[in-house]
Amino acid sequence: MRSAGRLHRAGPVLRFVAPKVLQALFVVWATYTVTFLLIHALPGDPVLAALAVRAGDAATTDPEVLDALRAQYGLDGSILHQYVSHFLALFRGDLGVSMATGYDVSDMVARALPKTVAVAALALVLGFVGALAFTIAAYLARPQWLRGAISQIPPLGIAIPAFLTGVVLISVFAFQLGWFPASGADGFASTVLPAITLSLPTGAIFYQVFSAAVFEAGEAGFVRTARAKGLSQPVVIGRHILRNAVLPAITIIGLQIGYLAGGTAVVETVFSRDGIGRITVDAVLARDINVVTGVVMVVAVIYAVTTMIVDLLYGVLDPRIRTRVAAKPRTRSHAATPAGGDDA
Amino acid sequence: MTNFPRPRRRLLAAPAAAVAAATLLAACSGGTEAEETTDASGTPAAAQDVVFALKEDPTCLDPQQTSMTTSLNIGRQLTDSLLDQDPETGDIVPWLATDWSVNDDATAYTFTLAEGVTFSDGTPLTSDVVAANFDAINELGDAASLASAYLAGYTGTDVTSETEFTVSFSEPNVQFAQGATTMSLGILSADSAAATAEERCLAVVGTGPFVLDDYTVNDSVTIVKREGYDWGSELRGHTGDAYLDSVTFPIITEASVRTGGLESGEYDLIQDVPYIDEARFTNDEYRLYAAANPGVPNSFVINTAHGLMGETAVRQAITKSLDRDQINLLTGSASGQAPTSVLTSSTPGYTDLGDTLAYDPEGAAALLEADGWELGADGIYERGGETLTFTVTAFYAQDVLEAAQMQLADNGIDMQINMVAVGDFFGAIATGDYDALGAGLTRTDPDALRVMLSAESTGRWGIVDDAELEALLQEQAATVDTAARQAIVDEIQQIVAEQAYVIPTLETVQLHASAAAVDGLTFDSAARFNLYDAMVVG
Repeated sequence: MRSAGRLHRAGPVLRFVAPKVLQALFVVWATYTVTFLLIHALPGDPVLAALAVRAGDAATTDPEVLDALRAQYGLDGSILHQYVSHFLALFRGDLGVSMATGYDVSDMVARALPKTVAVAALALVLGFVGALAFTIAAYLARPQWLRGAISQIPPLGIAIPAFLTGVVLISVFAFQLGWFPASGADGFASTVLPAITLSLPTGAIFYQVFSAAVFEAGEAGFVRTARAKGLSQPVVIGRHILRNAVLPAITIIGLQIGYLAGGTAVVETVFSRDGIGRITVDAVLARDINVVTGVVMVVAVIYAVTTMIVDLLYGVLDPRIRTRVAAKPRTRSHAATPAGGDDA
Repeated sequence: MTNFPRPRRRLLAAPAAAVAAATLLAACSGGTEAEETTDASGTPAAAQDVVFALKEDPTCLDPQQTSMTTSLNIGRQLTDSLLDQDPETGDIVPWLATDWSVNDDATAYTFTLAEGVTFSDGTPLTSDVVAANFDAINELGDAASLASAYLAGYTGTDVTSETEFTVSFSEPNVQFAQGATTMSLGILSADSAAATAEERCLAVVGTGPFVLDDYTVNDSVTIVKREGYDWGSELRGHTGDAYLDSVTFPIITEASVRTGGLESGEYDLIQDVPYIDEARFTNDEYRLYAAANPGVPNSFVINTAHGLMGETAVRQAITKSLDRDQINLLTGSASGQAPTSVLTSSTPGYTDLGDTLAYDPEGAAALLEADGWELGADGIYERGGETLTFTVTAFYAQDVLEAAQMQLADNGIDMQINMVAVGDFFGAIATGDYDALGAGLTRTDPDALRVMLSAESTGRWGIVDDAELEALLQEQAATVDTAARQAIVDEIQQIVAEQAYVIPTLETVQLHASAAAVDGLTFDSAARFNLYDAMVVG
C-alpha cells in the first residue's frame, strides 16, 4: 500500500501540510497584533522611560527632545501607520533600534539567541532523559508504595522555584566545589548549571505526560498480548510502551518552548548570563518596546515553527495519522488501531 | 499544563529565602578560604589581577555619554580629566591641565595642558583634542546629559597653542571647574571624539591608567594596565603605572551571587552590597567601602502647586514628623548617617542643619493645630471634612517611603505611596501631576539644588514659587569666589529645609566590599571608585 500510494500522495500531503503552515503564520501575526496593542495600551511614554534608563536622574522632560527621539526610533506617526510599517519591517528582518541601549534589536537577538538556545536545548534533553528515567523506574518499581514514592519526586522540579535551585547550585557546584563557573556564557561548562536548573521544571512536565501515557499503555491489551507472546521486559517497554509515550511528549515540546522562553529569564538573571530572557527582563523594566516586540516576535516564530514541525512529525511518527494522510478523509475510522499494535 | 504553577516571575523579588540559603551554604566554605591564604603567602608577590563583580551591564562605556554609575566607574579608569577634586576638602587641583584660571564672571576658563601626555593609541594630548571633545559633547546634547549640563552655555574653545586653550560660555558657569574633574568631561582621543555615539559606547580611547581590553555586552568588561602612564594627579598615592595588571568586571546581576562569590574567593571586589548583608563583611577578612552619594539626599521633593503641598504649615509638619535617625536605622546602611541638610554630608558646600531637620512631633502638632487642623477619629488630622493626606511618587527605595509613612501616620499625617516605573516617574515630572517625588539627585556640587528647584532648570523636579530662593539659586551659579558662594549656598539650604521644599529622608550610601587582600581602592567626590592605587597585598 505504501509504495503504491506514493504517487497519489501529493494531494493529501498538501492538504495535511498547508493548514499547519497557515496556522503558524496566523500565530505570528496574532502575536504581533496582541503585543502591539498591549504595548500601546500601557500608560506612560516609552521614549521617556528609555531615556530615563539611559540618563538616570539627569533625564530631560523637554517635549522637543522627546519628539526628536520618537522620530528616531520609528515611534512617530499614527498608530495604524506604526502597526503596518513595523509589521512589514519584520519581514525584512528589521526589528528596529533599542531605545535604552542604542543597539540594533536584530543584532541583540542574534547575539543572545545562541546562548539561550544552548541552555534551553540542553535543558530539554536533560529534562526529557530524566523524565524518561523516572517514568521507567516508577513503572518497574515494586511494591506499590515504592512506585508511589518515585512518582512523587519529579513534581518537586516544578514546585521548587528556579531561582532557588539556581542559587543553591551556584553555592554548591560553583563556589564550593568549583566544578562549573557561577556566571557568564562562555563555553559548554557555563551552560551546565543553568540547564540543570531549567531542566527540573521541564522534566517535571515531561514526566507528567510520560507517566500518564506509559501507565495507560501498560494496562492496554496489546501490552498484555506482547507479554503473553513471551517478549522480554525491555522489548515490551522499549517497543510497545515508550513508543506510545513519546507522542504526547513531542506534542508538549512546543509548549515547553514557551515555558523555556520564560524560564530563561530567571536562569539568565541568576547565572548572570547574556541571553534572550535577560534582554527581555531588562527591556520590560526599561519599557524598551522595540526590544520587547523584537524578542516576542522571534520567540513567536520559533514557537510557531516548532509547533508546525511537531504537527508535521505526527504524520511520520504516528501510524494512525500516517494512514489518515494516505487514505481518503472519509475512511478516517479505519485508522483507530493502537500504535503499538502496528509493528508487533 | 494549566495545573502547573509557574514560579518564574518570583525571581525579581530576590527573596530573602534565596539569600539565606546562599549564606548558609557559603558559610560552609570557610575551609577553602584558609587554604587560599596559605597559597598566596607562599608566592613572593601576589598576582596583580583582580575580579570585580559589577551589578549591571554598563551598557555604554563612554563616560561622556553615560550617567549610569556602573559605567562611569569603568570610564574613570580609562580616562583622565583636566582637573581633579579632593573628596575630603572639595579643593580642585591640576591633573591633565597643570594650570588653570577663570575670569571674574565665570564665562571663560583658560587651561595649560601637561606636556608628554599621550592617549593609549599613541596620539598626543593637545589643545585641539580637548576642543574636539567639548565640541562633540555639545553636539551630543541630551545624549550626553551629565556632560552637557556641565558645559551649559558652551560657546566654543579657543585654542591659543598646542597646550593652551580657553573654554567660553555665554553665561556664568561656576560648576564647570568641578565638572572638569569628573569622568563626564574625561578627555578622549581625537578618533574617539570623532566616532559616532554608538561606536563610542562600545570602545573609547583615553589617557587613563588602564586601557579597555574587551567588552562583551551583558557579560564582562576587561581592562589592562597602561604601560608608561605617568600623569596621575597629586591626589593619587603613587606615580607611574597602575599597580594592578588587569581588572576583569563580570556582570553579576544577582546580589546573593556577588556576596557569595566574594566569600568563596571567586571575586576580589563586589559592587553594591545589599545593606542587609553588610554585617557579613565587617570582619577582618573583608574591607567594606561606604560612600554617601553626594547631591540631594533621598527626599520628598515637593510640588507646592499641587494639593495641600502649597501650605507651608503642612510641609513643615511633615518634615518635623520624620525621625530620620530611625529611618536610617530601619532602611539605611550601618555605615551611613541620617541626612542633616538638603545636601548630603558628602557634598561640597554642605551645611549642618540638624536642628532644623530634628524630629519634633510636638512642633508639628502645634503648627497644624494653629492652622485649624484637628485629629480625627482615625488618628489623622482633618480640617473642615478634608483629610491631611499627600502622595509620594517614586520608582525606588520603597522601604524608605514605608518607614516614613509609618512615622507620619503616628503623627496624624496620611501619606500615600505611588510606586511607578522609572519612565512614569519622569512622566509625572513632565505633566507636573504629583504632590511630592521620592528620590535623590546625585551631583557633586551644591548646584544640584538649582537643577532640582529652579524654574529655569530643564531638569526641574520641585515646583516652588519663591522669588528670593530663585534669585539665590541663580546667584550661586554665577559666583566665582568660593567664600561668597558658600554663604549663598548656606542660605539656600536654610530656606529649602525650613520651608520644607525638599524633605530629606535618607542619605543613600553606596556600599562595596573587597577581600582584605585588596588594598588602595579610593573614591572620588562623587563616590565613584578609582583603581589606580589599588593593589593585591600578600
